[in-house]
Amino acid sequence: MTLFWIDPARRQQKTYTDLLQDLDRKTELKKYIYHKDPYRVFVDLITGFANGSEVHLLDADFSQSEIKNLGIPFSELEQEQPVSVKNLSDFPALLKRLEENHSVSQVVIYTSGTTGRPKKVIHTLRSLARTAKTGNKFADDVWGFAYNPTHFAGIQVFLQAFLNQNPLINIFELSGGDLLEAFIKHKITNISATPTFYRRLLTNLRTPLLRVRRCTLGGEKFDPTLEGALRQIFPNAVIRNIYASTEAGSLFHSENDIFQIEESQKAHIRISPEGELLVHRDLLGSFDSQDLQDGWYHSGDLVDKIGENRFRFVSRKSEMINVGGYKVNPHEVEEEIKKVSGVLDARVSARANRVTGNILMAEVVKGERIEDELLEDRILARLQERLQNFKIPRIVRFVPELQLTRSGKKERL
Amino acid sequence: MEDKLLSIINRMIEKKNGKIINSLNGNASLMHDLNFDSFDLAELTVRIEDEFGVDIFEDGFVRTVSEILEKIQ
Repeated sequence: MTLFWIDPARRQQKTYTDLLQDLDRKTELKKYIYHKDPYRVFVDLITGFANGSEVHLLDADFSQSEIKNLGIPFSELEQEQPVSVKNLSDFPALLKRLEENHSVSQVVIYTSGTTGRPKKVIHTLRSLARTAKTGNKFADDVWGFAYNPTHFAGIQVFLQAFLNQNPLINIFELSGGDLLEAFIKHKITNISATPTFYRRLLTNLRTPLLRVRRCTLGGEKFDPTLEGALRQIFPNAVIRNIYASTEAGSLFHSENDIFQIEESQKAHIRISPEGELLVHRDLLGSFDSQDLQDGWYHSGDLVDKIGENRFRFVSRKSEMINVGGYKVNPHEVEEEIKKVSGVLDARVSARANRVTGNILMAEVVKGERIEDELLEDRILARLQERLQNFKIPRIVRFVPELQLTRSGKKERL
Repeated sequence: MEDKLLSIINRMIEKKNGKIINSLNGNASLMHDLNFDSFDLAELTVRIEDEFGVDIFEDGFVRTVSEILEKIQ
């Protein structure tokens, strides 16, 4: 009885046999996967893969207005298609079924677009599984699951574990003693997470976790101080820094902040004269975007070239703000703030910190005489109703007029 | 100084509709006792930096209220 999914916060434990039985029972599949329970997300995702369907992944905490902004009519949310994953004798039979459909099964992931319009990125199972490694070497891996299951990184970790029939332990929502207990009780060997998650882990742990043999960081800027702290807590682990994006998947990995363009990638990766990392469309999921020029995707990441084939990330060209691994479009937040009664204008910028990389700060110009705290509460109440938690500014400042730039540098405060 | 830190923490608790605290307990863990998540810790570090000019996470990980007080004193 190989374990598939353990979710301590939901007191859930599923084996691969349970998974096959749950798949067997599926007769309908909604086009939009929109569940709070990650296990249900995975069951629906595998059902889609096994039927060669197209499924759309929505974050469980999307509000109605965020879904509307994605251009999804509410009537479509309940739309179902008939499916069947019946009579699969065992796990290899399921894998065979997925393999048969891997170039037609599609997953649509929504990501913040640079223009304020959300972007739909479509990946086939084949492109999603491109970087998954399988074989005897991975047979004993036990994965700590520390991403949102509807995001690209979450699907990557899920597939890496699933394709090797490894257990996944959902540690994403745990903290304190529960987090430590999950590592020890379930003998977690592999973990992939954002620097923000690792910092949370480090504020909770003091004793080294000797079983962890692979620790991957991704989604945010490399932080050498954090890497040093992780080496102490995971003394037996290989620590890797990974570069991936929703559009392109995993592209590079490194043991520090310098990435290498491999021989096999040379035809598909370029650095523009102004230092922007460009990725050829052959490596991408499909999307309708002005970010694609002459077949090259302009990543928005500015890099320093080191020698012929190596580079280091310097900064982002776009206005997107990375908050703990989540990309936020400041325009989307500004638009919501400006709808609050009593607000004349608003600007949202990044405020750097060592816990989540950035948090959002809003400068607000009042449109009426009102106490600061009252208007702040009014703004927060509206945003909490309409936006995901990470998009809500943590600092609200009332200013007589807005600054001209959005650099978010501290000296502007 | 302690009063100012208490008022920063209480305003943050208030925004989360939590129960405000009357005094600072040095042993209180930021994550377990005050129920702060990563975004709360990030906000706290920024507010402390603005008020006291100290980045409390500059040279390691801060876990308790007394560890903050040590840094800002």
